[in-house]
Order: sequence, then C-alpha cells, then structure tokens
Amino acid sequence: MPNTGLAQLSNVALVTAIVIYAVAMVCYAFDFAFGRRGTAGVVAATAPEQVAAGALVGAASGADLAGHSFPADPADLSQLADLSGAGTAGSGGTSQAVQSPWPTGTWLRGAFVLTCLGLAVQVVAITTRGLAEHRIPWGNMYEFIAAITCAAVLVLVAAAVRFRAYFMGLFVLLPVVVALAVDVVVIYTPAGQLVPALQSYWIAIHVTAMIIAIGMYIFGAVVTVLYLLTAGYEQKVAAGEVSKAAGILAQLPGSATLDRLAYRSILFAFPAWTFAVIAGAIWADHAWGRYWGWDPKETWSFITWLVYAAFLHARATAGWRGRRAALIQLFGFACLMFNLVGVNLWVTGLHSYAGIG
Amino acid sequence: MTASVQSQGSQGGVPDEGQGGGTRDARSAAASGKFGVIAWLRWGWRQLTSMRTALVLLFLLALASIPGSVLPQQGIDPAAVSRYYAQHPALAPVLAKFSGFDVFGAPWFAAIYLLLFTSLAGCVLPRALRLAKSARQAPPATPRHLGRLPYSAAVRTTAGPGQALESAAGVFARRRFRLRTGDGWVSAEKGYLHEVGNLLFHVALLGLLASVALGGLFGYKANRLLVEGDSFANTPTALDVFRPGRLVAATDLQPFSVTLRRFTASYVQSGPERGQPSWFSAALRYTAQVGGPARSYDLRVNHPLNVDGVQVFLIGHGYAPVFKVTDGTGHLVFDQAVPFIPVEQSGLTSAGVVKVPDASPQQLGFAGVFLPTAVDVGGRLASAFPAAVFPRVSLVSYAGDLGLNSGQPQSVYDLDTRHMHRMPVSPAPLAPGQSITLPHGLGKLTFVGYRQWASLAITYDPGQLPALISALAALAGLILSFLVRRRRMFVRVGAAPDGGTVVELGGLTRSDAAGGFEAEFAELAGEIRKAVGGSAAAEARRQPASLVAGTAAGARPGDPVEEPGGEDVAMARKGE
Ligand code: HEM
Repeated sequence: MPNTGLAQLSNVALVTAIVIYAVAMVCYAFDFAFGRRGTAGVVAATAPEQVAAGALVGAASGADLAGHSFPADPADLSQLADLSGAGTAGSGGTSQAVQSPWPTGTWLRGAFVLTCLGLAVQVVAITTRGLAEHRIPWGNMYEFIAAITCAAVLVLVAAAVRFRAYFMGLFVLLPVVVALAVDVVVIYTPAGQLVPALQSYWIAIHVTAMIIAIGMYIFGAVVTVLYLLTAGYEQKVAAGEVSKAAGILAQLPGSATLDRLAYRSILFAFPAWTFAVIAGAIWADHAWGRYWGWDPKETWSFITWLVYAAFLHARATAGWRGRRAALIQLFGFACLMFNLVGVNLWVTGLHSYAGIG
Repeated sequence: MTASVQSQGSQGGVPDEGQGGGTRDARSAAASGKFGVIAWLRWGWRQLTSMRTALVLLFLLALASIPGSVLPQQGIDPAAVSRYYAQHPALAPVLAKFSGFDVFGAPWFAAIYLLLFTSLAGCVLPRALRLAKSARQAPPATPRHLGRLPYSAAVRTTAGPGQALESAAGVFARRRFRLRTGDGWVSAEKGYLHEVGNLLFHVALLGLLASVALGGLFGYKANRLLVEGDSFANTPTALDVFRPGRLVAATDLQPFSVTLRRFTASYVQSGPERGQPSWFSAALRYTAQVGGPARSYDLRVNHPLNVDGVQVFLIGHGYAPVFKVTDGTGHLVFDQAVPFIPVEQSGLTSAGVVKVPDASPQQLGFAGVFLPTAVDVGGRLASAFPAAVFPRVSLVSYAGDLGLNSGQPQSVYDLDTRHMHRMPVSPAPLAPGQSITLPHGLGKLTFVGYRQWASLAITYDPGQLPALISALAALAGLILSFLVRRRRMFVRVGAAPDGGTVVELGGLTRSDAAGGFEAEFAELAGEIRKAVGGSAAAEARRQPASLVAGTAAGARPGDPVEEPGGEDVAMARKGE
C-alpha cells in the first residue's frame, strides 16, 4: 500500500521545485539583460591577445570567446597557461580567473544556486515518491517525466561546472519547467504499485540508464538549437546584414563552441543510451523470452540509436559537419521524443505501461 | 573521371589515415591509361565503404524501420494484421506485397542492412590493418614550427640542448608515450586505444548480426497452455504453437517435460488499482531428461526456468472450469478441465466452449463464460474481481453434430453450431456442484469446480549469449574510443638568442571527445619545465616578450599560421 503522507510530500516538493526553477529562469534572463559587466573583466583578462603576452602562442580559435562569459573551449588557446605559471600554480597552469569553475556575476550566481536548490527539492520529490511506493519511482509516464527533467537539470549543473556552460541555464530550464507543469497538471498519476511485468531489478537498471541518457540528449538538443541560431546569426553578422547588437545571441558563445558542447553531450549520451538498450534487451529476455522482438518501443529506440550513430558519423564526414550534423541530431531527438510520447499514445505494444489518462 | 575519383579520396576516406588511397588509384590508373572493369569495381567498393555511404545507409535503415512500428506485424500480433485486412481491404494486399506486415523480414530491409554491414566490413578491415601497421611504426617526426600546433608552449633553461632534450624525453617515457628522437627534437605519441575502441565497436556490431542470424537459424519458439495438474513433453506435437528456425529439426528439441502443480495469483485488494495483479507464481515440477530426476521450480514473471539452454516463461494465466457430462445413455462421457480464455483483464471474465463428441444419441456442445467473482450489474452478469471469490459459469447448450469429422481443422475455443440446435435451457449461472439437465433426456452437465491454467512460452536461442557478448563488446569499444584520446607531443630545442636553451613544446590531439587534453598538456608542460630546470622558468616568466614577440631572429613560435600545413595539423582539425 502506498504511503499517502509521503506521496503528498512528494507532490508538494515537485511543485516547489517547479517554482524554484521558474525563479532561477528569471535570474538567468536578468543575467543576460544586466549581468554582463560582472563577467566582462574575466573575459578580458583571458582574451587571446593578453594571453599571447605570456609565454605561449598559437592559432586564435579563442576569438570565439571574446566578449562571452563562456571561456570554456578546452581546445582554446586562451585556456592555455604560460608555462612558467604552470608549475608554480600547480593547477595545470590556466590563469586563476578562468580556472574557477563557479559562475561569475550576481544574477548568474543566484540563478545557479537556485538551480541547484530546485534540483535538490526535485530529488526529494522523487525520493519520497519512491519511498511512498516501496519501489523505484519510474513506473509510469508521470514519474518518468519527473525523472527525465531531473536528469536534464543534473546534466545542466554538471556541464555548467565542468564546461562552464552557465549560459545554458535559461534554455534548459525553459523546457524543463514546461514539461513539469504539464506533468503535474495533465499527466498526474497517484502513487501506486507496478504490474508484475515491471517488477524486476532490470527495470531499475534499464530505465535509470535511459533516464540519464535522455537527460543528456535533452541538453544536447538544446545546445544544438542554440548552435543553429547562433550560426545563422554569425552568418548574418559576417554578411553585414545585422550589426553585432546586444541581443541574447550576441551574448552566447560562438557557434564553434556550441557545436563542440553539443557533440560532447552526445558523446556521453550515446554510450548511456547503448547501455540502456542492452539492459532493456536483457530485461525483455527475462520477461518475454526474447531479447529483441521489434515491439514499437524497441523499434523506436533502435531508430533513435541509429540516427544518433548517424550524427556521430556525420561529425566525421567531410561536408556533413555543422548544420547538417546538427539537423540529424535534432531528428534523433525528435525520434526520442516520439518514442516517449507518441508510441505511448498511438501505438500499442508490450511496453504500454504508461498509464496515461 | 580522375577528378571524381580524387574527390572521393578526400571525401570518403577515413579521417586522418584514409586519405590518399583513392588518389593513388586514380593516378596509377591514369598513368596506365586504362579505366577498365577493375577500376570501376574499385571505385564502387570505395563508394560503398565511404563514410558518406555508411551515413546514408544508417539513415535509410532508420527510415526503413518506421513502417514496422506503424503497421501491425505478422510475427508480433497476427490478430492485428487480420483486423487491418478487414479495415483496409484494398490497401492491405498491396502492403503485403511489399512485406508491409513483415518489415523486419522483408527483402528490402535485409538489402539495406546487408549493404551496411558489407560497408562496415570493408571499412573496418583496412582500418585495422592500418592501425596494426602504425602501432609498429615510430611516431611522425616533429614539425618545424611548433607554434602552429593547437597547443604550444616554450620555456628557457640554462641547461644544454642535449640535456634538456633528454629530460623532456624522460617525462614522456615515464608516461609511457611512444618516442622517436631526432636531431634536436623528440616526438611522442599515445592513445592507440582510441582507434582500438572504435574498431572493437564496429567489429562487435558484425558479431551482433552474426548472433542474431544464429538464433534465427537454429533457435525455436513455442507456446503451451497448461492446466494445473497437467504435464507435457517438449515435442512439436505437444506444443500449441511451434515456430522453429530454418535449420531446426523436430528431433533437435531438448527432451524435458513439465508439470504445472499449482498456479497462484494475487491482486491489489483496494484503492484505485484494485484488481491489478501484484503477484503471479506457477509451481512446476520438471525433468530435464526422460527418466531423469524431477525437480521443482517456482516460475514467475521475469523469473524464467532454464533447462538445457531452453527457457520457459510464464506469459499468461486464466481459469479452466471442470465439467462432468453424462449423456442420454447414462455414461460419463466427459470429465475434464476446460481452459477458458480471458476476454477482459479487470475481472478476468473468460470465454470458452465444451465439446462432448462422445455423447449419444447426439453430440453435445456448450459455450459460455466463467466469472471469477460474479456480480449482477443491472441484469447483466459481470465479474467484479479477477480472483475466484464467487465463481460462476453461464452456458448456452447445444445438441447435434459438432462437425469434428468434416475434415476441416477446428479451434478448441470455437463451437461450430451450424449443425447443432440450441437447447431451451436457461443460461442461469451455475455455482460449483450445480448442474444443467438437458431436455429430451439428452444428458446432464455438472460444473464441478475450477482449476487455473498458465500459458508458457518456450524459447531456445543459441545466439543469445553471443549477442550479449557482442553488445557488451560494442559498448566497451564505444566507451574506450570516447575516453581515450590519441595525442602527439613534440619537443624541439634550440639556442636562445641571448644565451641558454629554448625548449619548444607542441601538442595536438585527434580525438579528445571527453575533453581534458588542455589539462594534460599543461601538466606535461609543467613537468617538462621542472625537468629541464626550474630556475630558468622563472627567468622566462619575467621576460616572456623576448620569446614571443618575434624579436629574436628566425622563425619563433609566434609565427602566424600561413597555411594549414601537413598531416598533423589536419589531424588536429579533425579531432577537435
Ligand atoms: C552498423 C553500422 C554502423 C554503426 C551503428 C556505426 C556507429 C558508429 C559510432 C557510434 C561511431 C562513434 C563512436 C566511435 O568513434 O567509436 C562511429 C565512428 C566511426 N565509424 Fe561507424 N558505424 C557503422 C558503420 C560504419 C561504416 C560502414 C564505416 C565505414 C565507412 C564506419 C566508420 C566509422 C569511422 C571512421 C568512425 C570514427 C569517426 C571519428 O573519428 O569520429 N562506421 N560509428
């Protein structure tokens, strides 16, 4: 029997998380509007020309980053230490201002703290739901959406710290908040038990891996949309059609950096997805006696896998990098979303446990 | 022609190492002046094994899978295919002609994946050979201008050039780089496992395909419905459904037998999910060999029985009411449990028929429903709960000719009433122990009670373990290729214009998927600085301009990049 007190707590926590995320979004937006000055100094200090005054030099792909608060391009020279500093700092030699993984600027810092807080509250919501049900809380569509949005925010936080991708906050939280609102208002399902077909530790492994992979895919798709916008904008700037104004696009990192970030998220997502599909096959084998049966869910995860593999190939194929590869990636994401939503709604199969409506 | 082959060489080749092949071919072909069949075949093969073709085929395979999820598939849900035929009588035969109801067995689907895997084999083998070769060769020589590389640094030292070089080489050796030294330079390379991982991934995909084929040829699938107390042996005749792989003979089946002793189901008793199953369990006795010892097994969902590599699964359950029939002559002509098939899940209302061919003077037949928890809903009978709390059967009775000798196969779940007449007996629900007495002295049916049945799926797939191993190998290869970066480091020493030695350092990576080369480079740079003499570095820091601004004579690291030179720079671009 579900524990109603805990289930109640879970519901409240989830709504609280949504509110916190929404406030964080506002802060991210304010950072774009007013927060630039706080970070400008850091960027200037690491601009290629100044680094060139140190003991090292090279091709200036760092131009991308000038004027942005995202000096995270690892292949970028502005990240490189002058050697003499390297030893004494003992930290790989990047200048201290850049090395700090934490956000700069009041609005950005506030937004990031709120994001982490919202994440913590959402984790509480999911955990209490699981405790209330005495099982892993991803057995129906409502719980699944709560879990993948949580994964997306987790990926956001990790990428922000690891790659200094703080600018992503606004763009990742936007779909997260929308999805969670729909989840709570439309899809809500009271806490309950699992049908026997779902009672297996493989479901825990399989679905957990899927959730993590989807979180990364979401991040990758959002970066890619930004990439396409930025690349188009840069072309226009280069053609003199628009002047480099103060819009949001002008404040984003250059398209090359976004491209790399998108690629990187898929590099992490793809093995996770591969593992999830394998775990799913093992589960299917335990439950139904065949590891692969072309059930619609299986078919669509296969399609998704193929399209993302095509994306990775496109990245290594002359003439296919950039825009085309980005479109392939978004197509892969569309397949992923269709598998989550469309297949549950319109196609029936063994996996129809979604419990919508 | 030459031009097209050349452009192919740069387009289709494997990044970094695959260049040039097509160009060489074209050149030799042009030199000898013949563009015969061989040249065309080579060209075709290059096309097929190019990255672009692989990309297109991957995409095509994805697209080709879509109809398989949209149209009902014969192998998954034959009933849905029949429904589709009924709903779209004009369209369905056309779709069937193009294997629309068997997409994953369709010739055109096979054509795509076979082409893809041919391309894969044709791509992977040469790459494996190249990798083996390059693993035996020394790293490439150090380029002249290290400042052009994506990562570069320089440091001054008072140590002599030879000693500085030796110290730098020592740093790489300690980190197990492969080394090559020349006059005033060291070149070091590491990370071949990146390419190994990528190749392992692709080869494992070939293994996966082979495993699937193995299962399709030598495996089989079967179903069997088993009532509590009954047994069956694993032979084709004893199975309800038997789908063997192409190369399976009836005598190949593993000779086990199974008895269902007891089936238990429990259901959620209250709340919004009332009636949902929460637990199924089938208590089995089985013998692996004829005459072998009998063992017990508790068969559950997600908990199959494994005998001799054959797996037995619990896939369904239901009720089998037990009937006794005495015919008009007073003989007991029927005493059996009859499996009824659930027609709905929430109350497990089940439908079935009883055929009594041995009854005389007339054959008897009964059709009806079993209600585990019978309730009266506005004058209609229904079942309110799936467990047998208040079990009842309601039957319509027929007498006449069952039609079993007509030569046409009949389903045990359908009653052919064309040659039978309905008896004027009320189909009022019977409780266990109650009877229907037929008019005209035709006989009597007693509802004795009920047993449960379980339906079992029996599968044998010799490709299963190879498939698992291939899949895990693919995953391992993937992770390896993403985690390991292939990188080259170069050191060049020279005399500083104002005395001492300048140690230049350059680095590039082809594949830094997970990031982190910049940190590694900085670390290496730091170690080399220490190794060649720390105090000199302090000096370098105090007067960096002399090294950078190009005040010194000759080419210095600060030189702008004029042209994308050499393979190494190209490699760096590739892998960024
Ligand atoms: C079943 C079909 C295939 C699938 C699913 C597939 C999938 C992948 C994936 C996921 C990657 C990225 C992972 C890694 O770098 O290790 C990759 C890379 C690669 N694949 Fe394939 N592949 C297939 C067929 C082919 C074929 C036919 C070729 C040859 C034309 C090929 C050549 C390559 C190369 C050269 C790379 C490395 C790209 C790079 O340097 O980033 N693959 N493939």
